[in-house]
Amino acid sequence: MSALEIKHLFGLRGVSKSDISTILDTASEFRQVLERPVKKVPSLRGLTVVNLFFENSTRTRTSFELAEKRLSADTVNFSSSASSVKKGESLLDTLQNIEAMKIDLVVVRHQGTGVPRFLAKNSKAIIVNAGDGANEHPTQALLDMLTIQQHLGSLKNKRVTIIGDIRHSRVARSNLWGLTTMGAKVTLCSPSTLTPRNTQFFEGAFWETNLRKAVTDADVVMSLRLQKERMEDSLLPSMREYRNYFGITGELLEHANPSALIMHPGPINRGVELDSEMADSKHSVILEQVTNGVAVRMAVLFLLSGGRHG
Amino acid sequence: MDSLVIQNVRPFVNGRFDGLCSMALVNGNWVAEAPQDAPVFDANGALAIPALFALGVDFQEPMRDDVYTFEKGFKAMHLGGFYGALYESSANPIDDIQRLSALKQAFSASPLEMKILASFSKNYKCSQLSEMLELSRYGVVGFGDGNLLNATTRFLRLSMEYGSMTGKRFFFLPLDLSLRCAGSVHEGAVSDMLGMKGIPRIAETIVVHTILETALFLGQSVHLKQITCAESLKLIEIARQRGLDVTCDVSLYHLLFDDENLLDLHSHFYLIPPLRSKADKEALWNGIKNGLIDAISCNHKPVLTQEKQVNFEDATPGALSLEVALPAIWKPLVSAVGESRAIELLSMNPAKIALATPQKLSLGSPANLVILHPEKKTLVQASHFAGAVQNSPLLGAELPAAIEASYLYGAWTQV
Repeated sequence: MSALEIKHLFGLRGVSKSDISTILDTASEFRQVLERPVKKVPSLRGLTVVNLFFENSTRTRTSFELAEKRLSADTVNFSSSASSVKKGESLLDTLQNIEAMKIDLVVVRHQGTGVPRFLAKNSKAIIVNAGDGANEHPTQALLDMLTIQQHLGSLKNKRVTIIGDIRHSRVARSNLWGLTTMGAKVTLCSPSTLTPRNTQFFEGAFWETNLRKAVTDADVVMSLRLQKERMEDSLLPSMREYRNYFGITGELLEHANPSALIMHPGPINRGVELDSEMADSKHSVILEQVTNGVAVRMAVLFLLSGGRHG
Repeated sequence: MDSLVIQNVRPFVNGRFDGLCSMALVNGNWVAEAPQDAPVFDANGALAIPALFALGVDFQEPMRDDVYTFEKGFKAMHLGGFYGALYESSANPIDDIQRLSALKQAFSASPLEMKILASFSKNYKCSQLSEMLELSRYGVVGFGDGNLLNATTRFLRLSMEYGSMTGKRFFFLPLDLSLRCAGSVHEGAVSDMLGMKGIPRIAETIVVHTILETALFLGQSVHLKQITCAESLKLIEIARQRGLDVTCDVSLYHLLFDDENLLDLHSHFYLIPPLRSKADKEALWNGIKNGLIDAISCNHKPVLTQEKQVNFEDATPGALSLEVALPAIWKPLVSAVGESRAIELLSMNPAKIALATPQKLSLGSPANLVILHPEKKTLVQASHFAGAVQNSPLLGAELPAAIEASYLYGAWTQV
């Protein structure tokens, strides 16, 4: 049924260049749809999508919901905080009950790595990963890639520096897999307590703990959200030191390519990982990322459910 | 004193003591000729030894200036021939820039080379990391535990992992506090005879093992302070064979004394880590001889007289050492390992560990030195100590050598 080589979207690790290109090209077309007065197409009319969110989410869920509505799908929202999961229901029982209501696609976010694969093994529905633990967040990476492509023309040989909590970031992982597949050069920069220690499977990544070196000549500087829990967990001494050594500032950006893009998956801790003036500067494409999120999610849902690009 | 001539002295040059000669010292340098009116000191055949570097110095300032002051500490260094020290304050953890700046300001009053060990956790509590990147940038030479390692293994890992970005060494006093419990002496024949709570060797070795395994996992260089037993040295030897950059020191007093010195329960012998058995002392001397031990540390810690004039178990542990270290250890050390290795253990290696400037004597170069007479004796009296406290187990002892004077950064101090 899928118009792609993949049948579900679990992540970008192992996804072919051709599939990623198809998704990005289709998303570019949907992006144009979003500029029209009537932002809706009938592509998924008659299909039902469940947004199965076991973790809190505002942006990603809203973005998926909008994408589904723009494609004319019927959508149902399920959140663990207001559901039978609270009453002790297992993940498998939850899935089977929802599936019994004859749904077609499941968009899932869960704190556990591998949950989308588990659901796919036990269901006939098409599964789209909206974030599983620290493993993958493929649609975020795809929207990042679309944004870069729109500004820089192509991803090939572009120098992308990702800064922040790499060890716990699904955004960083998906971006690394996707960007390297598309020929970009990815540098990962984080404090050593937030850096994976065993990096033999991070093929194609360059590692750097010195921020200035990491951003030198970068075409894209992508900052990740720093969670305050990292201080409580003793992984970092203070927000202050993090800002001073890993925060994106105007002074730092002088070392990057003069036309470098600033990206962030949101929500931003202004003054911590990203200085406010940088977030609002001409380099920043953060709001475009948000808009592209809807287009990318439309493309993923459309292609996985059998829609053909072009 | 701008210039000085030392006559009848044997300077340590190119790895050995030269024959008797005169040294002309001008403005901190050893020069070919001093001004004609320069004062002359007759050393009577004494040795001119490159000045020493002290590991483990804590003047208890600025939180406890009722005990001691920086000024007294600097004076003690001049009296003992120490040109520099690695300073780690137990009363004032250097865990942020404000504290570091205040300490650097205090040290700026002296030309002595004071290196600072910061705390890797806030207030030594081992629950929150200190701002190690910032502290490193502003000049600390490493990160320590304040001789109170109260960390979970996870925190130990995270602190070393975060600190590894600085490239600086971590310093630990390996002692399991739960195994120490209320112990004040080595757990062995003496403690059992006296009915005192003891601190077993495993209180050290378990922590040494944990530190070394963690450091090996992270590739982080570490220094182990005040090793007291053969089992720890074995673990260090194995870790080195596995490729770890690990250095260690042994305390001066652990080479001079053992737990049999505790029999009259004099509180000046109350040290943490505790003085261990004769066999342990022998093992430490073997470590000195076979090169496993890199340095001899001073662990100079002033303690109020009233905190020592109590029964042993209620006393505050710690001892002064700067003023008496060299005359106490020189002869036994030279007889065990020779003059050159003795200077390595007291000066060169401690300086390397603390990233300080190593000292050597050479005509035409800056000279920091201590004049030691190996044939004279020193009867240690209260007046030998720079401050108002005299908490040294050597108080009242006769030492087998005598410091005559020191010349540090152009300052001549006659003892």
